[in-house]
Amino acid sequence: MASKAPVAGGRLLLGFRKWYYNACGFNKLGLMRDDTIYEDHDVKEAIHRLPERVYNDRMFRIKRALDLSMKQQILPKNQWTKFEEDVHYLDPYLKEVIRERKEREEWQKK
Amino acid sequence: MLPRSDTSALRCLLFSFFFEVYPILLKVCLNFLLRRLRSLSVQLALIVTFHPFQVTKLSSGLVIASLENYSPASRIGVLVRAGSRYETMDSLGVTHLLRLASGLTTKGASAFRICRGIEAVGGSLGVTTTRETMLYTVDCLRDHIDTIMEYLINVTTAPEFRPWELSELTPRVKVDNAIASQSPQIDVLENLHAAAYKNALSNSLYCPDYMVGKITTDQMHTFVQNNFTSGRMALVGLGVDHAILKQVGEQFLNIRSGTGTAGSKAVYHGGELRNQTGDSLVHAVVVAESAAASSAEATAFSVLQHVLGTGPRVKRGSGSTSKLEQAISKATVQPFDASAFNSSYSDSGLFGVYTISQADATGDVIKAAVGQVGDIAQGNLAASDLSRAKTQLKAEYLMSIENSENLLEAIGTQALTEGTYHSLEAITQKIDADPTAVAKKFMSGKKSMAASGHLVTTPFLDEI
Repeated sequence: MASKAPVAGGRLLLGFRKWYYNACGFNKLGLMRDDTIYEDHDVKEAIHRLPERVYNDRMFRIKRALDLSMKQQILPKNQWTKFEEDVHYLDPYLKEVIRERKEREEWQKK
Repeated sequence: MLPRSDTSALRCLLFSFFFEVYPILLKVCLNFLLRRLRSLSVQLALIVTFHPFQVTKLSSGLVIASLENYSPASRIGVLVRAGSRYETMDSLGVTHLLRLASGLTTKGASAFRICRGIEAVGGSLGVTTTRETMLYTVDCLRDHIDTIMEYLINVTTAPEFRPWELSELTPRVKVDNAIASQSPQIDVLENLHAAAYKNALSNSLYCPDYMVGKITTDQMHTFVQNNFTSGRMALVGLGVDHAILKQVGEQFLNIRSGTGTAGSKAVYHGGELRNQTGDSLVHAVVVAESAAASSAEATAFSVLQHVLGTGPRVKRGSGSTSKLEQAISKATVQPFDASAFNSSYSDSGLFGVYTISQADATGDVIKAAVGQVGDIAQGNLAASDLSRAKTQLKAEYLMSIENSENLLEAIGTQALTEGTYHSLEAITQKIDADPTAVAKKFMSGKKSMAASGHLVTTPFLDEI
């Protein structure tokens, strides 16, 4: 019972997550989740630390999305970003930036 | 007025105290004191026989040396055989960046934490690079050794070299290079090494211009992997307990064991580099290959260096005991400065004369200086000059290690190159060498030269 419930719950949760991802709609413009994150101070610093290739890919995707949005179009279905392909590339850098900021604040308090 | 009987009773009491009770009390006190003194004398005996200087060599190859100087401040250094001679041709300038990167993020502490942590205990962290070694020094009060050791170990064994932090160092590299280019001495000496050697020792201590901003994280990591191994490190402490250093060395400084990639043997080939700048003061140095630092000839070269002169010993004095000054003042009346240049490395060395002169008198000055060395090679050396030189050499060495920074470096270099430390007496006894033979070696050896300034009268090597 205890082993069955999480698995069943896990599959249900995964299905929900996939449905939610597609419902968001940014994948129809060819974007990934980390392309759409709001650029506050920490995120700006994390983007600054991205390796060159990742940064260039990000810029290309954003440009393409802006172009499509201007033309009021979306990509053909086979080019939509799939849930499995969506890489959270900014996560490690963002985590590091936030950890450093928290460390600085801890020291300031002392 | 007390009745007579009371005073007599009092007197009896006092008498009895002095003659009977007091000695007993005294004996008790004395016994007590003696017991304390005996234990104190045992402790004193322990302190007196405790040897303050210890060297241990661990199985991983790491050499640990410590000197207990009972100072309230401790100074700890990690020496690594990773100087600029171990740079490969593809990654010239890595040591310069490494020198500046000592405060960057490591696996155990972020750059911010290293800076604030060291400041919080009132310590300091510094890096010195020579052509052969890198020396990381920390100093702090004795009570805070563990905090600061943690940072030192992090910096020497686990740096991360994050790309964005490295690119922030590029302006600092440019500032370093700008300061170096302002100094004609640095210019001439770097050119000298580039001209005199084919490899290894020809690498400059500064990052070449075409590599500024182009050194990658991978190159830094490769250099550290290949060179920062425990077989090439020495951990030295002044005012630190040897047991603590040993524990740190065994636990933390053995991440990369072995001897890393062996550097190439420095090959002397002798060339000249002239840098025409139009400056009215010409800096020139003429050298020949001398001996390695550990050989017997090295001391003879040091004695010769002091015979020829290493600058005035009295501030604003005339330096009239320097043989070079005497010889050159016969050749020209214009102001000049000359001293002997002597530098020894682990497998080679350079010895010669360094002159600073007016642009139109340089030819005479250099020829007179080299002629003076030739004169000594033929044996025209007074005994008084020789003994003066030997005394000056001894005094200079002993006075230099009065300073704890220099002492740390001296102990560390000896520990790194030989694995032991020779006592002061042993070193000063070695200073008894005859410089005539080595002067002959200079005169007959293939020379190298570097010059900078308005080189209109500066001779080429074949004209000297």
